[in-house]
Amino acid sequence: MKKPAIAIAGLTACSGCQLTLLNCEEELPEIAQRFIIDYFPLGLTERAITGPIDVAFVEGAVSTPSDLEILMKLRNCSRSLVALGTCALWGGIAAMKNQESRKDLAKTVYGFAADDLKSFNPQPLHRFVKVDFAITGCPPEKGELLTTLAALLRGTFPVFPRYPVCSECRSRENLCLLIERDKMCLGPLVQAGCNARCPAVGIGCEGCRGPVTEANVAAEMELLLKKGFSRDEIVSRMQRFYPEWDYEQSS
Amino acid sequence: MNRVLEIRPLTRVEGHGRIEVRFAGTKAEMVSLSFFEAPRFFEALLKGKSYEEVPEIICRICSLCSTVHRICSLFAIEKALDIRVSEQVGLYRELILHGGHIQSHALHLFCLVLPDCFAVDGISGLADKAPQELKRGLHIKAAGNLIQEIVGGRTIHPVTLVPGGMGKPVSREGLLKLKETLQGVLPETRRAFELFRSFLPNGEKLDTPRYLSVHPEGASPFFGDSLTMGNAETIPVELYTNLLREKMPETGNAKAVLVNEEPATVGALARLNLGMNLTPMAAAAFEECRMLVTDADIRANNLAQAVELILAVERSLEIVDILIEADFSREETTGIVPKKGQGIAAVEAPRGVLIHNYSFDDRGICRGADIVTPTVINQAAMERDLIALATHMEGADDEELTGAFERLVRAYDPCISCAVHLLRI
Ligand code: SF4
Ligand code: SF4
Repeated sequence: MKKPAIAIAGLTACSGCQLTLLNCEEELPEIAQRFIIDYFPLGLTERAITGPIDVAFVEGAVSTPSDLEILMKLRNCSRSLVALGTCALWGGIAAMKNQESRKDLAKTVYGFAADDLKSFNPQPLHRFVKVDFAITGCPPEKGELLTTLAALLRGTFPVFPRYPVCSECRSRENLCLLIERDKMCLGPLVQAGCNARCPAVGIGCEGCRGPVTEANVAAEMELLLKKGFSRDEIVSRMQRFYPEWDYEQSS
Repeated sequence: MNRVLEIRPLTRVEGHGRIEVRFAGTKAEMVSLSFFEAPRFFEALLKGKSYEEVPEIICRICSLCSTVHRICSLFAIEKALDIRVSEQVGLYRELILHGGHIQSHALHLFCLVLPDCFAVDGISGLADKAPQELKRGLHIKAAGNLIQEIVGGRTIHPVTLVPGGMGKPVSREGLLKLKETLQGVLPETRRAFELFRSFLPNGEKLDTPRYLSVHPEGASPFFGDSLTMGNAETIPVELYTNLLREKMPETGNAKAVLVNEEPATVGALARLNLGMNLTPMAAAAFEECRMLVTDADIRANNLAQAVELILAVERSLEIVDILIEADFSREETTGIVPKKGQGIAAVEAPRGVLIHNYSFDDRGICRGADIVTPTVINQAAMERDLIALATHMEGADDEELTGAFERLVRAYDPCISCAVHLLRI
C-alpha cells in the first residue's frame, strides 16, 4: 500500500497535542518511515500546504483569520481531517470565558493595543469545517494517538470508549474523591480513555477530556452543591475545557 | 530597488513566528521578528479564578514548559498565601523541573536543531541520515518525560503539583525505575555533549549578550529569589519591574522587554556564564568547552543546553537517591486559609528566566496576574542579532538568508506560545 500522507498543524493552542506525537519517542522513527509527513511546521522545514493529504491532524481552537485560513487550506486538500485534542474538539482552555466580551479580555491584557488584535472567540473546528474524527484530551493520550495512526495504516479510524472517567477509576479501585473525600471531581461527566489519570494520583478530575455522551450534569451539580461548593465555583471549574454545559439538563 | 523578504511561518520552532526583512538595494534596512500566535489572554482568564485553579489553568500556556509554569505559579501562590511546603514536596518539585529541562532541551537539540547539522528538513530526514543520533536524543528525551510522567502523573500538563503539597508521592518501585533509567542515559548525555561540541558555529561573531538569570542559591541550579546580570548586579525578584521594561507590540501579539534599556539574553548560555551550580560531570564538560561558551554569542546556546542536559540528569539522580533513602510517606495537604496578598516568584525555565506575579483577594480569588516569559525577554536580542546577521551576509541570496535567519532564531529556542500571553492586569 502507498504510504499515507499526513499533515500536523497547530491553531490557537499550546502545542501540547503536537508534542504528544513528538513524545512517542520509541515509535517516532517508525512513524517517520511509515507515513509521508507532508506538513508539520513544528518539526519540518516545509512551509507550504500543497497536498494532496490523506489525513490532516489539527490541534487547537480557531480564533484568528489566519487560523481559519490554515484550517480551510487543510480541509480543501485532505481526504480526512482529525480534531486533535480538547481545544480542537471542544474549544478548550482558551474558550473558557467565551461568554464574556472578547474586547474586554483583550483590554485586560494589552490595554489600548488590544484594538489592533485580530481575533475572535476561540471555537472548535467543527463550527467551520467537517471533522471526520477526533482524539480528545488536554493533552491527548499517547496510546489513542498511536492507535489512530495504526488504524490509518489499515485505512480506518479506531473506536474509542464512550463511558465516563468514573468507570475507569472504579476499575482501578481508587478511593472515590467525590464521595469519600468531598473533592470537586468531574469524573462522572467526563469522557474516559485516560485510565482515570488524576484520581489515580489523588487529584480530582478537572475534566480535560470534555463531556461524555449522556453526562448527567444536573445530578453532579446537585451533589456538588450539597457538598458545600458554590454554584460559581462549580461553573468556573466545569467551564475550564468546555464552555457550553447545559447545567439544567436532566437526563 | 526596495524589496521585502518574508519568512512565514518560522519552522522548527515552537509556535507561530515570522521574520520580515526590508532591503534597500542589497542592504538590509530593517528586520522585524513577530509572533503572530493567537493571543489566549491568559492573565484575563485567571482573573476571578481561585488560587487552586490558577496552576491548572496556567500550565496550558505552553506544553513544552507546562511543568515549569506550574511550579513557578505554585511558588508565587505560596508566597502570596504564606504557605510553606515540606522537604519532600520541595524535592519532588525540583525533580520534575529537571525532567522538564531534560525533555525540552532534548527535543530542541535533537528534533529541531539537529536537522540543520545534517542538512535535512526534519525528523524523517534524520531517521535516514543520522538514525543513531536521533535515537540517542529521543532516548534522553524519554527519560525527561518519564520523570514528568512518574512524578507528575502526566508528561504534559502534570497533575500532581498543587498549592501547599502534592498528590501521591512516587512509590519505591517508581523511584527505582527512574534511577535505572537515569543511570542509563547519563553516558548518553555525555555523548550528546560531544556531538554538539563538534558543530561549531561559523560566520562572524555577533554581539556578546547581556546575560540575565535567576541568581542561583542552594543546591538547586534553577531556583532562587533574585535576578542577576553578573557584576554584582543582583536584585530581589519582587523588584523585577524596576529592571524590565515592557514595550507594547508594533507587530505580532507579544510584548517585548528591555532590561535597563538594553536587550538582555536569558537561557542556558546565560546561566552558564553567570555561574550556576554544576554537578561533577557537567562541571567537567563545562571546563572542556569553557572557551566556546564564555562571553559567546547566542549561537553557543545549543552547546550550553547540551552541558545542561548532563547537569539535569545528574542532579535528578542525586534527588532520586535522596528520595529513596528518605522513604517519605504520603502527607495530606493541610487546610490552606485563603488571604489577601501578592506573590512574585522566578524560576529558570529551559529557555531562561520566568516570572509569575499574582495578587489575591481575601477569599483567595485571583485579582491580578503578570507573567514574564523568557522568549519575551529574549525578543529584543533576537532582533538585534538578526539585523547584525543580515548586515554580515549582505549579498547572500534569499535561500541562504532564510536558512541563516531561522538557525539564529532557533539558537534562542524561542517558545512563542509562551511569549504571546504575557501581561499585566
Ligand atoms: S488540548 Fe490541551 S494540550 Fe492540546 S493544544 Fe489545547 S491546551 Fe494544549
Ligand atoms: S482524570 Fe480527568 S482531568 Fe485527568 S486526564 Fe482524565 S479526563 Fe483529564
